[in-house]
Amino acid sequence: MMVGRLAIVLRAGALTLLAAFFFLPIAYLVSVSFKPRDDVLSGEFLPLRPTLDNWPGAFAATDLGAFIVNSIVVSLGSALITLLVTLPAVYGVVRLGVGGKWAPQLTLGSYVAPPIVAAIPLFFLLRGAGLINTHWGLALVQGFANVPVAYWLVTPFLRNIPVEIEEAAALDGATPVGTLVCIVIPLMAPGLAATAVILTILAYTEFLFASTFTFSDATRTLPVGLSLFQGDRLVNFGQMAAAALTGLIPVYLVGLFMQRFLLQGIAHGGIR
Amino acid sequence: MTLAATVRQPLPALTGAGSAVRHLRRALWLAPLGLSLLVVLVYPLVLLIGLAMTSSTLGRPFNRFVGLDQIVAGLLDPVFQAAVFKSVAFGFVASALQLAAGFGIALLLTEWVRAGRLLLTLVLLPLMTPPVIAGIAWKLILAPAGGLLNGQLMQWGLIEAPISFLGTPGLAWLSILAADFWQWTPFVVILSFAALMGIPPEMREASLLDGATPLQHLVHVTLPLVAAPLASIFLLKLIIAFKLFDLVHVLTFGGPGFDTTNASFWIWRSAFERFDVGRAAAATIVYAAVLGLVTLPVVHLCRRLEARR
Repeated sequence: MMVGRLAIVLRAGALTLLAAFFFLPIAYLVSVSFKPRDDVLSGEFLPLRPTLDNWPGAFAATDLGAFIVNSIVVSLGSALITLLVTLPAVYGVVRLGVGGKWAPQLTLGSYVAPPIVAAIPLFFLLRGAGLINTHWGLALVQGFANVPVAYWLVTPFLRNIPVEIEEAAALDGATPVGTLVCIVIPLMAPGLAATAVILTILAYTEFLFASTFTFSDATRTLPVGLSLFQGDRLVNFGQMAAAALTGLIPVYLVGLFMQRFLLQGIAHGGIR
Repeated sequence: MTLAATVRQPLPALTGAGSAVRHLRRALWLAPLGLSLLVVLVYPLVLLIGLAMTSSTLGRPFNRFVGLDQIVAGLLDPVFQAAVFKSVAFGFVASALQLAAGFGIALLLTEWVRAGRLLLTLVLLPLMTPPVIAGIAWKLILAPAGGLLNGQLMQWGLIEAPISFLGTPGLAWLSILAADFWQWTPFVVILSFAALMGIPPEMREASLLDGATPLQHLVHVTLPLVAAPLASIFLLKLIIAFKLFDLVHVLTFGGPGFDTTNASFWIWRSAFERFDVGRAAAATIVYAAVLGLVTLPVVHLCRRLEARR
């Protein structure tokens, strides 16, 4: 009995410590964002003399609003592009038997190459096409680059739908395109929502392509803008923390509302 | 008449053409995927080979043919050799640590499902945090003058003078490992949790009835059952760890000296700071080949475990 209680206490302690560890950096960002300039590097966790100045200060010091809008536009656009590429491909491979084995293998295999491999060639391609330093250019590149992830996530969602429904539709004279749009996509809606959220977050957080292919305030995404903030000679850490948190709010809100879908999506894709 | 109808009722004389059209229509399903693979896979590889064999800058590519000179130079460059080694070592060390910790946490969560749900939500936070922001947060924690960690360590009397975590060789890598651990362990937790939830609960009851201790149950029942998914999680995590770039950029910018310069960062600086695209392309080919070589055994392991299931 004593041993059992001890085990419970130990486990509760371990879980609390873990929760603290995963929450700590975010909590510290929040705290620093309320610290006046002279207190930022005091080594204390909580602000000694809290101030609100950093929040408007962050917007005044940089084009923060524009960075966030750029990020949202690019990440939504890229998620849309990824889905438009992936959905017909998965349907074609799984249900219509197009592409055989090579299509999935090549697609998933392409994920192994780190993005730096494609960075230099894509720079020349975007410059040649006049898409360098544009929202569309970045969305296109990120959208294509995330196709393997979407392919991996969507395939089991499609496999889980009983094929009989589609066969019935085909008997009624529906074309494959009609079946995909009117029957399969609605049935996969929860899985597709999870996939779309994951794709959007992936693009929203991406840094390497974004920093290489955008170089004006009109196109820079949030991670790029924040990394420049850092390069300034006089770094105002309070403002930097406030700016970082402002950029986190959209992702965390999405995460909060789509939590269930997100966990399902990640877990579903990984384990089959 | 629509194309579909034409194809469905071919005139006898046109059967050959009809089947070709049908073939083409089926291939259309994969056309967007083909375009995407062409842009992010085939074209980059072809162009990289071209750039690697010519003296090229960002402004003027394909200046002069140099053959294999740049690839040989890349293979012999000690800084680049070290950078490739660091990328590979980081990948294996970070993934192994995160797999062990993430699986352990997932085990704790399965024992306590209700608290587990709450923690799963919390664990999503690092995963959704852009790496640049994670880097900023960790930079504030690890700052030498008045960062949170130094402040606390000094208050507790554990150290006399502040430590420059990001400016000391060795410690700088540990700092990157810590930030990466924070960011990616949750991914392992969620996947391991799902794998563990896939084990039928009767298994546990059966082995407890047989008088197995929790440790015996873990080693002889649970681990063999989740070995295949765990290997896949490790592979996935390894691939992600080989992409490490943002945390290096934000936390150390490859320093102190070249201490935390890994292959991705070395290539990026060569191409986009020194504009020596030819050399960077040659290095990229070398790096990609090395990654292929070191990933292959892990892919093999996954296949074997999957086949045994």
